[in-house]
Amino acid sequence: MKSPIIHCQQLNHAYSGKVALSDVNFELVPGEPIGLVGPNGAGKTTLLSILSGFLRPTSGTVRLFGHPPGAAQLIGKVSALPQDAKLDPSFTVIEQLVFYARLQGLVKQQAIFEANRVLEEFSLKEAAHEKPLVLSHGMAKRVAIAQALIGKPELILLDEPTAGLDPVNVRTIRAIIAEQSSATTFIISSHDLAELDRLCRQVLLLENGIMQAEKIGINDQLAATRFITLQMETCPALEVIAKLQALKGVLQVTNPQKNEFIVAYDPDLQPHMDLQLMQCINTHHWQYRQLSHGKTLEEKLFFRDVHPT
Amino acid sequence: MRPEFFNHLLLISQFELKRSFATRKGILSLVTFAVFWYFILLYPLRFAAELLLQEKGLRQDFSFFDFIGFGSIQHWPIPEFGVFWQFALIIFPMLSITLAADQTCSDRERGTLRFIVLRCSRDSLFFGRFTGVMVIQALLISATALSTLALVLYRDATLFSLALPDLLTITVNLILAVLPFTAMMAALSAMVKSARQATVWAILIWTFLAGIISGFAYYLPALTFFKFLVPGYQLSDLAQLSGWQTLQLAYVPLLQSFILLTLGRWIMIRQTL
Repeated sequence: MKSPIIHCQQLNHAYSGKVALSDVNFELVPGEPIGLVGPNGAGKTTLLSILSGFLRPTSGTVRLFGHPPGAAQLIGKVSALPQDAKLDPSFTVIEQLVFYARLQGLVKQQAIFEANRVLEEFSLKEAAHEKPLVLSHGMAKRVAIAQALIGKPELILLDEPTAGLDPVNVRTIRAIIAEQSSATTFIISSHDLAELDRLCRQVLLLENGIMQAEKIGINDQLAATRFITLQMETCPALEVIAKLQALKGVLQVTNPQKNEFIVAYDPDLQPHMDLQLMQCINTHHWQYRQLSHGKTLEEKLFFRDVHPT
Repeated sequence: MRPEFFNHLLLISQFELKRSFATRKGILSLVTFAVFWYFILLYPLRFAAELLLQEKGLRQDFSFFDFIGFGSIQHWPIPEFGVFWQFALIIFPMLSITLAADQTCSDRERGTLRFIVLRCSRDSLFFGRFTGVMVIQALLISATALSTLALVLYRDATLFSLALPDLLTITVNLILAVLPFTAMMAALSAMVKSARQATVWAILIWTFLAGIISGFAYYLPALTFFKFLVPGYQLSDLAQLSGWQTLQLAYVPLLQSFILLTLGRWIMIRQTL
């Protein structure tokens, strides 16, 4: 059993009497990236700010690698992308990144090398000698993520890393996270559930400052009831539901949004449900767009009350 | 205190020096100050020193400087330093309020401090910025004192050995005089949202607080002690002294700075970044 990298116990925070976090308890061990989701105002940024040491909790205990947030022992071990934080406009990007690397304990030459390395990873070499004010929103965001990677920390907290970025840059960031996740544990707060679906094996859900008791696993291959998400081209929804419902092993078919169907089935009764569905689609001359095992993260998180009958 | 505290303190204060001496904004402020000081040196300071010399030569009973309340200038063996001392005691505390107003506030509002506190303690940040601003002011004070020395030597090069102790005394005293103002600005900057707010608060504290305390102290003399906590409390007494006597009051700014820095650190530790 790996020792926890984050341990929160009875964590509470309130802003002028308004509760932002309420009795949050959880423990995380190092490993695959972990998602942190929840609606606006759920307390995600508050939680990440407390973990990063930017904010003191009203009450409760927080430990990162056994130390309180902001402890000297965490320098170089924990890093973060704070939401909406901007670099100093008076200095160039490289000057600031070298400064940060030096604060992390690197000597000047190492610091210059490390600052250039992280900028190169994000294809930002040409922006190195620019001042932050001349950078576009996307570039500034990439620089802010790049600073979090200085010194290869063991834990990186990313608050909305892909918000406002174009698809190409989102893909770059996803690739970097995936590449580094063997050595670094990422905690990613995001509204982009499709993105988290791709990156994370585990997701924490915060709602109204309350952490949901169960961590949502992405992999549900061992569950008694399995799901297939089917995205169709334009089709007669009622007929599709009726035909799919009649298939062997199908427990329930739901139609959460237009042209999307979630098929709940018993794998003991029909282990090859995907093939059966394809045959059914072919027989009725329907056109499908995508068939994927499991439910989307959005369905898992926000439509959990849909149970097979 | 951990060893990295001093390393971080050094790095942060060096970065502040770079901000003042190697960025466009910093250089512009320095040039403005240099031009301002050049005119003070060339006109009020030089003319006042010449007038003082003439008065000494006349040995008359009436002195213009006694009349305007700056009689203590005459106690300085070198008139230029006497005038410089009076000017500097007004200019540098005011300059300190402006120069030290933005130690942490705008960086905190922008979120830049978050990038820094991920890599060092809040103590290193707070004291590092304070040290940086103090070193910048010490350099400015030294530069102005040296320019006054140059003016003295231009008049009479043989005064060098006589001028040196005065130069040292004034420099040390002025650094001590701006210390509590810088500490007050460090505490205010840790609390408010902008440099402008910090400056407004500083002026309010500096002017009204002293008046209010005096008012209350009239009825309750025990409250007089609190006047002692207002930065610059000793300046009017200091202006009456000359030479090494000026260090008699050194304990006042040192104690004020200690109290204000303790308060500022307390605010900084609790502040949301």
